[in-house]
Amino acid sequence: MVKLWGAVLGGYPRSIDVRHEMRDLERGDSTYLDHEITIAISSSAVIGAQISSGLRYVTDGMLDFHDIFRPFLESWRNVSIAGLLRYFDNNFFYRIPIFTAEPDVEKFVWAKRIRFYKKVAYPSLLKAVIPGPLSLVLMGKNESGLSKEDLANSISSILSMEVEKAEKAGAGMIQIDEPILSDHEISEEDAELAKELISNIAKRVKIPTALSVYFDIPKKEVYEKIIDTKVNYISLDIMDSPSRALDLIESKGFSDKKPILGLIDSRRIYDDNCDKIKEIFTNILKIEKEEVGITTTTWFDVIPYNFAIRKTYLLGYCLEKLGNELNAEIINPIKEVEKQ
Amino acid sequence: MSYEVPKKFPTTVVGSYPKLGNASEIIKKRDRNEISEEEFHEKIRDSINEVVKDYLEAGIDIISDGEQSREDMVVYFAQRLKGYNEGDWVRIFDNVYFRKPIITGKLERIKEMIITDWLYTSKISNGRPVKLIITGPYTMLEWSFDLFYGDRREVIMDFAKIIREEILEGIKNGAKYVQVDEPALSTRPWKEEADLLKEALDYIFKGIDAKRIVHICYGRLERLLPYILDYPVDQFDLEFKNSDFRLLPYLKEYGYNKELGYGVVDVHSLQIESVNEIKDAIDKLMKLDIIGPEKVFIDPDCGLKLLPRDIAKGKMINMVKAAKIAREQY
Ligand SMILES: [Zn+2]
Repeated sequence: MVKLWGAVLGGYPRSIDVRHEMRDLERGDSTYLDHEITIAISSSAVIGAQISSGLRYVTDGMLDFHDIFRPFLESWRNVSIAGLLRYFDNNFFYRIPIFTAEPDVEKFVWAKRIRFYKKVAYPSLLKAVIPGPLSLVLMGKNESGLSKEDLANSISSILSMEVEKAEKAGAGMIQIDEPILSDHEISEEDAELAKELISNIAKRVKIPTALSVYFDIPKKEVYEKIIDTKVNYISLDIMDSPSRALDLIESKGFSDKKPILGLIDSRRIYDDNCDKIKEIFTNILKIEKEEVGITTTTWFDVIPYNFAIRKTYLLGYCLEKLGNELNAEIINPIKEVEKQ
Repeated sequence: MSYEVPKKFPTTVVGSYPKLGNASEIIKKRDRNEISEEEFHEKIRDSINEVVKDYLEAGIDIISDGEQSREDMVVYFAQRLKGYNEGDWVRIFDNVYFRKPIITGKLERIKEMIITDWLYTSKISNGRPVKLIITGPYTMLEWSFDLFYGDRREVIMDFAKIIREEILEGIKNGAKYVQVDEPALSTRPWKEEADLLKEALDYIFKGIDAKRIVHICYGRLERLLPYILDYPVDQFDLEFKNSDFRLLPYLKEYGYNKELGYGVVDVHSLQIESVNEIKDAIDKLMKLDIIGPEKVFIDPDCGLKLLPRDIAKGKMINMVKAAKIAREQY
């Protein structure tokens, strides 16, 4: 019997309270303490929404992340941020990381968050999400004097320490986001570099690790490297183009990795249709018969807050429906606790 | 009053200008329904006056209304079309948001949206032509949520219908330069996407007797270029400066022979490009011998709305000076 579980891929949009609080803080009309309290309350709310949807892994919503890179850049030395660049095909912009010398870690992003939110997340497990070294290097500017490979190596050393600290703090999973691997202009050499570095990062922890690629379906040559990376799970954005995703999966499989499928569309606001998801899912079950995670296609941050909460519910709803209709075993932390 | 647009290297703008005077406050009043649409366009005239003053002082040949009425290039139209609901806040960057509108019904034009400001600007332009500028169907779709159609082509074609009606009204009133803005297209530089827009543009521009311009910026223009060359337009207005003129060799490679709105100043940089720097940019293009000087329109990469006024104006002044020098040389 196939095991099924659910998780939201990444961050949540900011609720009105968080938006206003962050604006007040920028204007000097609020204090850091107020800020931390607001973030804590709002993060707990999104964690609650995920737990009550029966999700196995939850995120703290990363409500204070301006983009997937920022908190890390702000915690490292020899990195600055510059102007805005479009973030893939979204009407959303990230600040360009500028590496001015070999980066060095000043503080860690996840350990503190995990210690705080893991209690809120119980009985679900809290996931630590980090940006992958290749996305950081290729989407940033390298003014460090180091070669691309050396810079990427140095970044992955910092990220390795980051995940060790997160594991020690009690993280339930490490997810490494490499959206750049979905770019069709990525060379095989770059994909190989990502594979090596991510494998090195993942090796440092015993908790499950996932490599997550989204916004598009990677090209074949890159996908081969992705499934060859030494992580436990591969997470893909299926709904951006279901037919291309299925073609790729049918021809290449998942190697020895377990798939996490982005089946809830997190960039659009319509209600996802569980039956349509089931159709796609049934095809994938022909390839993977043991364990499948179901997730959102991307982070939630390009839709409004209320729709993200709605989609969290739909994720849980479709998961349950799929489990019943396909006679699968669902890993639902709340039900596990009830059994005890 | 008539104005002779130079035969070579005419200067122009992409559209938006920093919000001047009380424009932002007036937009908010209109949003809160404290003033009617008529009062709104009446009140916004002071801001348009200021924009036109800057353009004329700088010496721009083909001007715009500076899009003083438009808080945002999609929201402005969404607020004025049937079929839209006001959206909720979606983040664009940092802690900055826009209200991404939601399509909840069949899209229809209620009345003109950009003609009043265009007519007013034309009246005060000292005879200089004023571009009639409208957000294109692809960008309207991509930067809205759709809860009604569920079929992208259908949405785009309904937008095309609306846009064509608006343009026809502009032409009836004497518009000679029509520009459709499609910044979203460069985010998905794929043939299927370019073809989707082509079908809409075929419909929009059919039989239109005016200069037909499409503005596209940022993203991967070099990948998009081969798919858009057969669009039914006279001119592509493109960003070059910000991407360090990376696109130029591709124009040569693909045998580009339409008119070109040539973006020579960076609207994301607070540094005013020197006359020499802009002239160098013109030389770069001319050296490649792709198109003649009568097909080259000198302009900024994109709208100037994010710049402080003095910098926006400074960039325009140097652009005009550089174009003058180029006219003597080529
Ligand atoms: Zn533009």
